[in-house]
Amino acid sequence: MTQITKDNVANIVAFLEENKNKGGDVSLTDVMHLAEMMSGSMHEFLSKVQPAITEELTAIAREISSMKQEIAQLQAKDMTSNRIPDAGRELDAIVEATEDATNTIMEAAEEIMSADPTNFAAYHELVNGKMIAIFEACTFQDITGQRISKVVSTLNYIDQRVSDFVARLRIPDGFEAPVEETAEERRKRELILHGPQMTGEGVSQNDVDAMFPDSQSEIDKLFD
Amino acid sequence: MALDLSMPVLVVDDYKTMIRIIRNLLKQLGFEDIDDAADGTEALEKMKQRRYGLVISDWNMEPMTGYELLKQVRADSGLSKTPFIMVTAESKTENVIAAKKAGVNNYIVKPFNAQTLKGKIEAVFSD
Repeated sequence: MTQITKDNVANIVAFLEENKNKGGDVSLTDVMHLAEMMSGSMHEFLSKVQPAITEELTAIAREISSMKQEIAQLQAKDMTSNRIPDAGRELDAIVEATEDATNTIMEAAEEIMSADPTNFAAYHELVNGKMIAIFEACTFQDITGQRISKVVSTLNYIDQRVSDFVARLRIPDGFEAPVEETAEERRKRELILHGPQMTGEGVSQNDVDAMFPDSQSEIDKLFD
Repeated sequence: MALDLSMPVLVVDDYKTMIRIIRNLLKQLGFEDIDDAADGTEALEKMKQRRYGLVISDWNMEPMTGYELLKQVRADSGLSKTPFIMVTAESKTENVIAAKKAGVNNYIVKPFNAQTLKGKIEAVFSD
């Protein structure tokens, strides 16, 4: 028994030696590996002392092993190295494409607005040319639609992986740790920054107008 | 207060395209003297150098939001009477109430059309 313990301790020491230069950069996988080794090292010793503890430790070791597999299945590296940056690039491309299209459309509209309509033939030709430019610019919608689908697919992928992981951890409802408000969140709360609302969620212009009577007669109506 | 088309108008928005849209709409309405700023800080600096007849501002900008700009304008005795219209995608009731409490003259929810902008400017100057 003593010999087995020594071997196991030697394994743990070797593991710690191997990882001692990591400084603070210790991953969850490292911790779980260490826990697995430690619970394994005590297995034989405790099996002779108390079988119930052995069963418990075996279950813990099995759980740790299963957790390691779950973490591996999360494919966090793939998410952070590939999928999330790719989604970011798609969104940047969408912003760029919509901005380019808007500029093209606005330039066309501005040129039509400032054109001299007295020379009808020239005006007609200019308007036709600019209308074609507007139609062409609108093709951005098809491409951005495809890009958005790719981003949505990435979000669904992450959602699925994280949801599966959380489900397997069997975290009870309401177990979430309190999250401290970040500086950005505080700014948003204090300056009432909600951003655009979905259709039907925010107030309409008519609702706003009711709060800003346009004339004295409308103000008077509020007191009738 | 009468609507004077020759008065300088300050458009405040961090999105260049929106400035361009509002500029064009204002030009269509007959305004000629249109200036712009990319956030509340720049707008406040410009307002201290020049007297504007109307400020049309977005809400969500950095570092200074349109809401903070409105409160600073109303707190400054030299600027407090400047007509101020908020044009924003912030469309929660609490935003409209907060802006009204801070002294906004009118409030336009994005997306908006030329008729709405025209109507709100006229309403501000008919008071």
